[in-house]
Amino acid sequence: MKKITIDPITRLEGHGKIAIFLDDRGDVANAYLQIPELRGFEKFCEGRPAEDMPQILQRICGVCPEAHHLASTKALDDLFQVEPTVTAKKVRELLYSAFFVTDHTTHFYILAGPDFMMGPESPVAERNILGVIRKMGVELGKRVIQTRQQNHWVIQTIGGRGIHPVFGLPGGISKGISEENRAKIEEIAKSSVDFARLSIKIFDDVVIKNKEYLDMMLSDTFTQRTYYMGLVDGQNKLNFYDGRIRIVDPQGKEFAKYDPREYLEHLAERVEPWSYLKFPYLKKVGWRGFTDGEKSGIYRATPLSRLNVAEGMATPLAQEEYEKMYATLGGKPVHHTLATHWARVIEMLYAAERMLELSKDPDITNLDIRNIPTSTPKEGVGVVEAPRGTLTHHYVTDERGLIRKCNLIVGTTNNHAAICLAIKKAAQDLIKQGREITEGLLNRIELSWRAFDPCMGCATHTLPGQLPLEVKIYDSDGHVVRTLNQFDS
Amino acid sequence: MKTLILGIGNPVLSDDGVGIRVAQEVSKRVCDPQITVAEACHGGLFILDAVLGYDRVLLIDSIQTKEGTPGEVYRLRPSDLPLARHLSSPHQVDFITALELGKVLDLPMPERIDIIAVEAGEVTSFGERCTREVEQAIPVVVEMVLSEFQASGRDKG
Repeated sequence: MKKITIDPITRLEGHGKIAIFLDDRGDVANAYLQIPELRGFEKFCEGRPAEDMPQILQRICGVCPEAHHLASTKALDDLFQVEPTVTAKKVRELLYSAFFVTDHTTHFYILAGPDFMMGPESPVAERNILGVIRKMGVELGKRVIQTRQQNHWVIQTIGGRGIHPVFGLPGGISKGISEENRAKIEEIAKSSVDFARLSIKIFDDVVIKNKEYLDMMLSDTFTQRTYYMGLVDGQNKLNFYDGRIRIVDPQGKEFAKYDPREYLEHLAERVEPWSYLKFPYLKKVGWRGFTDGEKSGIYRATPLSRLNVAEGMATPLAQEEYEKMYATLGGKPVHHTLATHWARVIEMLYAAERMLELSKDPDITNLDIRNIPTSTPKEGVGVVEAPRGTLTHHYVTDERGLIRKCNLIVGTTNNHAAICLAIKKAAQDLIKQGREITEGLLNRIELSWRAFDPCMGCATHTLPGQLPLEVKIYDSDGHVVRTLNQFDS
Repeated sequence: MKTLILGIGNPVLSDDGVGIRVAQEVSKRVCDPQITVAEACHGGLFILDAVLGYDRVLLIDSIQTKEGTPGEVYRLRPSDLPLARHLSSPHQVDFITALELGKVLDLPMPERIDIIAVEAGEVTSFGERCTREVEQAIPVVVEMVLSEFQASGRDKG
């Protein structure tokens, strides 16, 4: 063994590689986000028992394993044709609400917050959670950590294990909730509601009341007029755990509403030679390239999309904030990508309120937690809203329940085309003939990228590492004229 | 001394799972009630959550360095890692930031953190086993961990 000076490369090299192509005049012709894909996934699943999928598939993603676990469990309900008990559904949704509180908290304060709280032009070394704490105070930092910890406790208590739950079974769950734990969960839910309200207030004070940010949010550079997708309940209210998929057009009109099982009738996938990750689009609208508008089948599935497709929030405080957001931004739908952060804090409040409702539900401690499946499996689809967008798991098995085929559309994949479009638009507005290309460009492009909270379903950990984002700019002859990255500093 | 031995990685992503594999082997052979052996599949803040309340922490993880040979074993301290505070993934803060965050917030941080890192070869293909070179490093690292804690036990003894 030797002592070495570590010169690490980011574990997922190429992850988030942005290529910008200039034309003869030096303006932007095209911009792409390239994403390498992990290999061998389908083959890895083939031949394994379907019941293993909720355990295995959550491992493909270190960011939202809870979402994969539940989408997979719901796919098993469908595969084995068994309806979970009322209590099982509520307990699953309770865990999932706690998960949304932690995930949105992390994104808002630690990932996106620094851009807003420190300012997009502040040095990279300042734009992080430590900078946020210096500016906003240690008390807020403690509450962020506390909210995460408390909700992780909820996930662990209900799910049977921290981070990677083990409780989902076809037809129900493996264990119920004791009265003692229910009471603790209720307290955590109350505290989470307070924390979410505080977060909305911070967003309002720091972003909405700051003209510079509001102008940036409303600017054309960060605006795309696309279709939107999200799950809704029977009253067209937003739901994370269950419902029908609703799609609205760029005018906000309902374009489609369907059972998750019918997803292949509505979605098609575009393949581009420069990216492993496919580009889903709306089949009935068609692929028109990287362009927005009513004629382009590009859609988005994000927190903002969910608010755009829903006719409201199912809990009172979140509903108030929902109304306030649309009143401020000029009605529905909102096409401003940076408003996704606003939608995210409203969703955080909804998740906390829903958690509180469920923790007080008389059914939640019932022991009737599972219906035993008796049918022969064949094919199943399970859908939930992951924090980053609609998540679909689809399995085909033989009669013994061994996987023959497995197809996933993860949250970020839905948004892949829209992310490329957002980057292209930001690049076109920011890089002009004769204008010097600066670090500030990278910051601004990063802003449009980060609003989607993109997850390539793989980043389990990096030790150590940097933001794996690199921008390469090519002239019209295909030569690299400028590289901007954050690996070197 | 309350000690945590934490294996980090993705158990279904080939060499990335090496830390988990080592932790699983070590846990079979450690019986000191002061030592906890655990697994984690997250970085950054999740590591912060995991280490709170321990006096001493040993992390076992995979790493990729520019000219590294798969299976090579490195012994590191947090101070050996570059003090970059950029995001390590779009979803996490890096390890150094997480540790500093713990200090700034006055959380119960360990006095000492050590890292054993194994150079990974294949980390983009799904698989439950590591590649040959990394697989061979597993017993070496297991012995390294055990001898270290047995030795410190004797020291105390």
